Amino acid sequence: MKVLKAIYNFIVGDMIILIGVLIVVAALAVINFVSVFAPLRGITGVVLILAVLCVLTATLYREARGNR
Amino acid sequence: MQWAIASAAFLASAGSATAPVTLPDLWAIALAAFLASAVEFVEAFTIVLVVGVTINWRSSLVGALAAVATLALIVGTLGVAIVQWVPIDALRLFVGVILVLFGLKWMKKAILRYSGLKAIHDEEAIFEEKMAEIRARGETVAPRIHPFGVALSYKAVLLEGLEVAFIVITFGSSISKEASASGIAFAAIGAAVAGILVILAGVLIKAPLTKVPENTLKFVVGVMLTSFGTFWAAEGFGYDWPFADAFIPILIVIYLLASYLLVTWLKQRKRSWMATASTQRAAITAQEEEEVRP
Repeated sequence: MKVLKAIYNFIVGDMIILIGVLIVVAALAVINFVSVFAPLRGITGVVLILAVLCVLTATLYREARGNR
Repeated sequence: MQWAIASAAFLASAGSATAPVTLPDLWAIALAAFLASAVEFVEAFTIVLVVGVTINWRSSLVGALAAVATLALIVGTLGVAIVQWVPIDALRLFVGVILVLFGLKWMKKAILRYSGLKAIHDEEAIFEEKMAEIRARGETVAPRIHPFGVALSYKAVLLEGLEVAFIVITFGSSISKEASASGIAFAAIGAAVAGILVILAGVLIKAPLTKVPENTLKFVVGVMLTSFGTFWAAEGFGYDWPFADAFIPILIVIYLLASYLLVTWLKQRKRSWMATASTQRAAITAQEEEEVRP
């Protein structure tokens, strides 16, 4: 458990960033590997950029509320 | 890298398979490999440079050298079969996601500092102050190996190095089956020249970079890691960015603008919270004074 926590702190140290990015990757994997979603493959880049910005905004909002 | 492979295919189709390979054909391969590899070297060297300037050069160089050793082992073991055996898209996705995680962590800290929500005097800043005091006394401290810096430098150099190896092999082999050995040799010459030129350019800009404030540099590193990470992660899914590698500067601009907007938003929120808090404090004080009055 200590090792896992050390790796988590080393790589990211923020649960919102970690879960947010993992959800985005999972969503993009579905879009790119499930044929039903094939028409959405062209917006992979836009989805990724927007998702990264949303994750950043969410974690900053949480920090700001904590400081309040 | 897609445009590089496309241009290799163009070169291959330009010279018919049956026509004898001439020296200008081989130099064309070298030039194409030079241009394509230069882009990859710039990407790798950017990360090595920022790790060197913001963390320390020892960690950055250890990571880069370890990656070069790993690359030599992979290329030496697999040879031209590397193109078939190394899952470059999976590697891009993995490295991209890790870079996005690292980058967001750094961006978050820097944005909180810029907006005044995170105290500058945290543990890291205290450590930096102590280091500055030591430097002011004229003493030196041997920089310790920083695992974060080593990992960043290692991953960037390994991924981009593999891409350069792919470029050399695909460009070199595209000329014709009979002359593929000469083609690979010329492509390797082009890539090596590109690598040397990028390293020389990096050494020249290293000194001016050290004059930039550390917090600003760390913010820029966060933006760059997030930009490279976004680019590679999407490529890992097989996505072709508009303008290929030239989209990376556009990503950097997008994240810089977003950061500026986020800092402005957080500053406004902080001001509004402080105004609310002072109004509440004033109301409580007035109420207390009223209660105390006979």
